[in-house]
Parts: sequence; C-alpha cells; structure tokens
Amino acid sequence: MNRFPIFFRWLVATALVDWLIGRMVTRSAIAMPKSPPVIAVYQALTVFGQLAFTFTGLLTLLVAIWIAWQSWQTRRATGLAFALPILIVLNTISLFVASAGWLAVGYQLLVMAAAAIVGGQVWRGDGEIKKKIAWSIPALALLAGGLYQVLPAFYVALRWSGPPPFTELLFNVGELLVVFSPVGLWWAVGQDAVSPYKWATIPALAFVAAYLLNPALTAIIAIWSTGLTLYLPWPLYALSLWLASAVVIVSLRRGDAEGWALLLLAAGGYAPQLSTQALLGLAGLWLLNSAPDSQPGAGTSLQPASQPIPVLSQTTAKAGKS
Amino acid sequence: MNKRYLLSLSLLVALAIALTFFKVPIASSQGLTLVAAQMSGDLPATDPNSDLWQKATAVQVPLSAQNVTRPILLDTRVKSVTTRALHNGSQIVILVEWADETRNEQMVRVQDFRDAVAVQFPLAEGQPFFCMGQLGGNVNIWHWKADWQADIAALQDMETLYPNMYTDQYPFAVGALPAPADYTDANYVPALASGNLFAAVHASPVEDVIAGGFGSLTAQPADGQNVQGFGAWAAGKWQVIFSRDLTSKEQDDAAFTPGKMYSIAFAAWDGENNERNGQKSTSQWISLQVEGAAKVTNPPASGSANSQMNLQVILVLFGPIALIVLLTLGLVGIVFLISKLPD
Repeated sequence: MNRFPIFFRWLVATALVDWLIGRMVTRSAIAMPKSPPVIAVYQALTVFGQLAFTFTGLLTLLVAIWIAWQSWQTRRATGLAFALPILIVLNTISLFVASAGWLAVGYQLLVMAAAAIVGGQVWRGDGEIKKKIAWSIPALALLAGGLYQVLPAFYVALRWSGPPPFTELLFNVGELLVVFSPVGLWWAVGQDAVSPYKWATIPALAFVAAYLLNPALTAIIAIWSTGLTLYLPWPLYALSLWLASAVVIVSLRRGDAEGWALLLLAAGGYAPQLSTQALLGLAGLWLLNSAPDSQPGAGTSLQPASQPIPVLSQTTAKAGKS
Repeated sequence: MNKRYLLSLSLLVALAIALTFFKVPIASSQGLTLVAAQMSGDLPATDPNSDLWQKATAVQVPLSAQNVTRPILLDTRVKSVTTRALHNGSQIVILVEWADETRNEQMVRVQDFRDAVAVQFPLAEGQPFFCMGQLGGNVNIWHWKADWQADIAALQDMETLYPNMYTDQYPFAVGALPAPADYTDANYVPALASGNLFAAVHASPVEDVIAGGFGSLTAQPADGQNVQGFGAWAAGKWQVIFSRDLTSKEQDDAAFTPGKMYSIAFAAWDGENNERNGQKSTSQWISLQVEGAAKVTNPPASGSANSQMNLQVILVLFGPIALIVLLTLGLVGIVFLISKLPD
C-alpha cells in the first residue's frame, strides 16, 4: 500500500466512516428509543456522517483524477485516462441538470467501460488462472450493477414503453457475484500461514446475531448501506463476510492492497445510488487490479509513490513511509 | 506525515466542512427514475389501457414488507408495482399496476380488508424517512382505496353483503333502506354531518392525506381533496390512475414544475392477505422527473420585480457553482503555494 499516494489511505478511512457511520449506524436510529440523549447522539453522528460523506466524495474525485493521470503516464489502461475525467465532468453536470435520459445512459456506460477496462487488465499478463478469475469477479459484479442501472435509462432515453426485461434477474446475478467476490479473493490470496480466521469471525458473527435477532432491520440496513437485498440464504452472506474479513486481515499483515481495495468496494456498494459511490467502486477495483498479486508475471508498471502528480512538490522516498 | 500532507489534509477537511455547511452537493443521484413524459391534449385519467400511456417509459419498482414499526406483516403479497406518468403542463397522471389474483373491494364486514395503493411525495426538501415521513419531514400521500372506487359506482353497505337482511325502521329517513342523503335531519348521521370522509359519498376514490411519521396520518379537509383516481381490476391485475393538477395552492399538497426532479414512493395492500394500516408493502424513494422546461406562468408586473427575480435566479443558479469554483481555485492556489515551501 506504500506504493500509492497517501490520499488512498485517507480515502479508505473516510469511506469506512461514511459507510459504517453515515449509512449504517445512523440508519439504526429507527430502532432506538427516542430519549433526548439518544436523539442528541444520533444527531451528532448524522452530522459527522454527512461530513465524512462530503470528504469521501472529494477524495474520490481526487483519486479518480490521479488514476486517470497514472493511466495516461504509464500508457496502461489508457481508456481510463479519458473515461474517469469524463465521469467527473458528468458528475458535476448532474448536480445541476437532472440525471436522466442520455445523461444517465452516458454515465452508466462510462462506469461499465471503466470497470471493463480495469477488469480486463488482469487477463493481459501471465499468471495463475485462479487469480485471474478471482480478480474478475468484482469487476463482473460492477458490470452487472451498471447494466441493471443503464437499462431503464436506455428505455427512457429512447422513449420505449418498457419496462425493461430481466432487470430483477440481472440484479440478483450481480448480488450473487458480490457475495462470491470475497470467496474468490480468499481462494486466490487470502490463505495465510498465520490464521486470520479467529478475528475474521467478529464481523461475521455480528451479522449472524443481528440477522437472527432482527432480520427485518438487518435487511433494511444492508440494503441502505451496501445495496444488497439479502435474497440469498443468510449463511452465504455470513461466509462471504467472514472470508472478506480474512482477506483484509491477511493483506494488512502483508502490506498488500487487496484488503484496502475490498474495503473500498464494500463502501462503494452494489448498484450505487450516488455518482461518487460509483467512482469509489471503480477506485477499489483499480486498486485491486494494481496490486502485485494481480500481475504476478508482469510486475507493476505504476509510478512509485516517490513521484506523485506534479501539483505536489517533489517528494522523496519519505512519501512511501507516510 | 510531513507538513505538506498535513496542510493538504487540513485544506480538504476545511473544504468538506464548507461544502457540508453550505449544503453544496458533490454527488448526484443515479438511482431509479420515473419520467413523467410531457404530451399535449387530454390525459388518459380514466383509461389505463390507452395507447397514450406508451409515450411514458414504465418503471418497475420493487416493494418489500413494512417491517420498521408495528403492526408488521412480514409476508406481504405485492412484490413490485409498475408505474408510468404523463403530464400536459397543467395536470399530471400516474398509472400504477400490480398483480393481485383477488379483487377485494368490500369493507362492509370487520374482517374484510380492501386492496389499495398509495403514492407518497415529500413536502420538505430532501427525502424524509420513506415510511410515512418523519418529524419535520412531512409527506403528502395519495391513497387509492378499492372500496371507495366501488362505492362511487354503487354505495356498499350491509345490504350489499346480506341482500335478504330485514330492518324495522330508520328514523328520520325516507325509504326502507335509505342512503345517507335520504336522512331528513343530518344530526342523525353525525359522521356525515361532521364531514367525515369515510361517511361521505366519495367524489374520488383517492384520499389526500399528509403524514409526519408513524401514527400521524391526517386527512386533508374535504374541500382540499383534489386528487382524482380511477382503478380497474382484470385478469389478476389492478390498474390505478392518480390524477391532479400539477400545482396546488394548498400548503400540504405536493406541487410539481416541469423540468424538475422530485421523489416518489409507493405502497400497496392486498386485502385478501388481511393487509391494512402498517401491514403493507412499501418501496424506497425513487426519483420522479417531470419532463419539459419550466414555464413562467406569472410574468412579473413591474420592472423592479423582474430585476429582483433575475437576481434571485442568478443567485440560486450560479451561487453553488461560484462557491465550488472559488473553493477549488483557492485550494489549488494554496496547494501551489505550499508546493513552493521548503521541506
């Protein structure tokens, strides 16, 4: 992770705060007693979550610009150098013009194109097929979510009567891919000599307890915070969460980027409702596919962090340590 | 972390605080959007099978059982609704369709429950809690009821269900089985006399209500009931049309302007499954885009009013843009200056 600029770490930290506090903890207020101290606490958490959301959005835009710059400089995944800036421009336009019709179609198609470009990179180098498959599953999940969102926009733009077919099937397939993404990553890189499974059970057990105690509230919070509907049997989600936690722990131990990428993908959510969340998912996917394990034969062609984008001063190898 | 990164982080945090404080958005919604297509002429307010509906793109909205507050029924039957919307600059119509094998339009017996559907609009800025709004976040709900629809055709009462029932006498009424209008003294039909919507002859199958959280549902006054509706059931499917003027003078009515985006949510009840009150299927908020350019319906009478309105438009339109540009330029400039600082 030291190979990337420090704002990647800032992004992961703020994205987690936005996700866990802004979209999860504050949403649990519906089940809390409404005493004045509780109300005051939740009001404070809401403001904090809103601040984290804005900060995450700013950092996401910054990271997207940096990724586009890197892609241009290294001539690797050059399409990103065009797709990401256009996405940022469309995001800004959408703040003042309703994002519907061709604007929405263009946005979603660009998101899908960027996901395909990033996901396709892993197949270019030499490497184990299981790692290529594992790295492709999150990209396919992003593509499925994008397709689910672009179809209705297409119908509106073309003024077709609709409704578009197979949307529910598409959404469910994408959710299945989301659930299996951590499984694939664990299979490829998550197995470690030092077992991470003990600590990884904590989030999984928390989910199981919440689901068994109050499945309705758990489902509400899940769909609000991640976009998942929990339509699959709940043990699958528990298993996925367990293995995702294991991958995060293992990659943190090794100093690799897979865990950070997984956290960004989780914070971005599935079939995200906000434009910056879609960019967050792309940033997570890019980070995942820029990890050394994703290109075992080709090695990384990233610029080292000692040569960040020109707007920052010439930072030496000290930047790699911060 | 060296000074440069610390300053950059501080500037970003300051920018985030400023954007949050001034409520400047940096992300746009990419969720489901229902577009109310613009057309000219009369809208199909009573014909759900009209070809005019094909001008609007249908959106399938998933529903799930209301499971936030009691009473809760987890196994509700309506899993999704399909909706379209049209407007002609003065009125808006919304068509909602859903599958329902049974037609439940009688509420005569206490154990009978009606089929129903509702659309909900926020009255305040933003999206209040999707389930009936919240304190400080009222919602305007248009609630179509199947039994009200049936009552418009023929008023239903005990005699509808028990045609052979016998009554001795209805005092102060004309006729053996009087309707409310047959009573000579309104004091003997107190619900009707007090303006209770449930006792009155229904002019519309839609009840126009507002809510600000669970248990706060309040019907608008009788003279404020301005939403029309039409519902038809055939071959296991309900088709319901809501129609109303785009704008309304009432404070508690949602108002629509062509060219703008709003939020809308849906709820449905299957009477056969004993669904009523909070035991229903609900959707999350989705976007409603009213197609077309905003029209100036009331041109200013004087030059000063015109210049004032132009200033307001400039401030509203360009204020956020100017703020973002200034803050961004400021950030870039400061970062540039910082880059010139020695390590």
